[in-house]
Amino acid sequence: MDLAKYSALFLAESSEHLNACNQLLLEWEREPASPAPVGGLFRAVHTVKGMAATMGYTGVADLAHRLENLLDALRRGRVAAAPEVFQLLFRSVDTLGIMVGDAARGADPAPDPGLSAELDRATGEAAAADPAAAAGVDGTRMRSVEVTLRREAVMRGARALLVVSRVEELGSVSGLRPPAPVLEREDFDGRFAFRVSTGASDSVIEAAVRGAGEVATVRVGEVAPEAEAGGRSRQIRVDLDRLDTLMKQVGELVVARSRLAVLAAESTDPALVEISDRVSRLVGGIQAEVLAARMTPVGEVFERFPRLVRDLARDLGKRIRFDGEGEEIELDRSILDEIGEPLLHLIRNAADHGIEPPEVRAAAGKPEEGRILLTASRDRNSVALRVSDDGRGIDRSAILAKARREGLADAGTEVLSDDLLLRVLARPGFSTAEAVSDVSGRGVGVDVALTRVRALGGTLDVRSELGRGTTFIVRVPLTLAIVRALLARTGAERYAVPLAYVAETVEFDPRAVTAVRDREALVVRDRVVPTVHLRHLVQGGPGQPSPKAPTVILELGDRRAALVVDALAGQQDIVVEPFDAPTGMPSFVGGATILADGAPALILDAAALL
Amino acid sequence: MSNTVLVCDDAIFMRTMISDILTQAGFEVVGEAESGVQAVEKYRQLKPDLVTMDIVMPDMGGIEAVREICKSDPDAKILMCSAMGQQALVVEAIHAGAKDFVVKPFQPSRVLEAVQRVLG
Repeated sequence: MDLAKYSALFLAESSEHLNACNQLLLEWEREPASPAPVGGLFRAVHTVKGMAATMGYTGVADLAHRLENLLDALRRGRVAAAPEVFQLLFRSVDTLGIMVGDAARGADPAPDPGLSAELDRATGEAAAADPAAAAGVDGTRMRSVEVTLRREAVMRGARALLVVSRVEELGSVSGLRPPAPVLEREDFDGRFAFRVSTGASDSVIEAAVRGAGEVATVRVGEVAPEAEAGGRSRQIRVDLDRLDTLMKQVGELVVARSRLAVLAAESTDPALVEISDRVSRLVGGIQAEVLAARMTPVGEVFERFPRLVRDLARDLGKRIRFDGEGEEIELDRSILDEIGEPLLHLIRNAADHGIEPPEVRAAAGKPEEGRILLTASRDRNSVALRVSDDGRGIDRSAILAKARREGLADAGTEVLSDDLLLRVLARPGFSTAEAVSDVSGRGVGVDVALTRVRALGGTLDVRSELGRGTTFIVRVPLTLAIVRALLARTGAERYAVPLAYVAETVEFDPRAVTAVRDREALVVRDRVVPTVHLRHLVQGGPGQPSPKAPTVILELGDRRAALVVDALAGQQDIVVEPFDAPTGMPSFVGGATILADGAPALILDAAALL
Repeated sequence: MSNTVLVCDDAIFMRTMISDILTQAGFEVVGEAESGVQAVEKYRQLKPDLVTMDIVMPDMGGIEAVREICKSDPDAKILMCSAMGQQALVVEAIHAGAKDFVVKPFQPSRVLEAVQRVLG
């Protein structure tokens, strides 16, 4: 059998298990007395060992085996969960991760003899020291729970989650089917199932389930091992490249559909019009399905952060707890891949500049352990990701003073608004840290985060309260691939403005022109809106717009701008092409696309115009 | 000794109805609140065995009140009172720490069942 074709799958699955190991280790370290995590760790490592052995990666299997021995000793209580043991476990999981990667790339690395010896020592020594404890108890097991709610129950989704939260008091719940978002939409028939890792007996689990109310039947039993692999779980793994290719082709299909619609509109042939409508609906359906298939829970990105924060805290000599919320919120894969880095910078910033050292916190009457909270929430067509810390907050007077010195703020500015604060923070090279640390010095974090988030068509906001903490809010669109855009024309060129940023279109009225701080502005519905002429932007030269020239009012948060164009050329679904801006490309260009008639067009970056 | 209850709802009608149902079943309604802020305050004062909490109230909604109460007392026994079509809010309330919910229009038997479950 040719095993090579399984190596990608091996890597993906092993990485998932090792990620889970990191999570469990963190949980366990927080509460060393809790018996739940070690069982999960043991199983995860055991699975990796089995897969590695099957693939013939003897080095990986060997290290996993030694790690498994130590975990077994730990779960049987023969070895105590001491801090140095946790260090060793973390290190081993890391090493295993690296080796898994190497192995999947074709090299089968030999395990580090030093690490192996340490693992053996930790396992063996303690066993020898306390042979009497060898028969210790291992209380936790994985149980599968299947529940049917009463037919007449109202709000079955909420009821199902109540069941889950009751059972969570007994142990850790996983593998919820249907998944939580589906339950919340009540898109199920009242039957659901999950697994729980607990020391509680089956009757106790059943009582907890029934305690949530409206339960018709409960079945607690063994976890069927094959349920995961095929059988009931109706999922398959698809290579991401496949989905990308599919998305691209759907993008082209969307463009072709637009072209067909244009032809049909010009034609008098009813059959053509009819088939065009039909194709249009079908393509719309395919587009929605492919987009849905690409949606991935943000938890995949979140899961690396607890470990990161833990390590940062150690390096910085701080005590920091990391919590994630809203892991089940979904984003398009392409955005998810890009969002990790900006979040990383913001989290590093929070750990480094936000959270104070324990003694400073104690002196300020705060708990010594700081907290960084990462939350995701869905907000119509965007997802908001918030990085909050309960640290020292940003000293506005210090920033304002610095901003004045560097000419970023007028001397007359008295109050530093959140908006201006962000602009100052995001200036390359800006830092208020007393000393530049190697964690996130030089203020580079916010700068990079802002650039990245903007590139995704998103926004970054900051809220900060001195002494109470800082929150950065990243908003990104649900999906990047296909957006609805308004086409604006100047001269012979057409430009696409993503509809998400368009508040309205009005007619240019020369009598409404005014000026704000030497900048041209328009009064639109009693609001003064800074004005940009597309013609000036692209041609550089001035030129008077004709009266009644179409004017697009752009809106982003509470900022607005008026974009004066020569003409509007309708709306279209456009496929945003990845865009490596050539040098010299003006900042207001955010990407490129091919229009329905095959002509290329530039996409305006509304955020840069505002 | 009978269990004590704090009834939170901005409508007097609802408060009266819930109080009647519970009183007739032998509970002692020790307080009423008509806003989230009041609910949090009265919870601290009265330390009731059970709270019934409307979701939509002025001055801090029920969910926020649940969050506040559970912050100081994670074992607080709070029963959410929801209208039809508020499933997403009920879900949020459960995540915030509510122990159960009933859906309006109330049937006394359903309310009492839920109360018994919460007091378990």
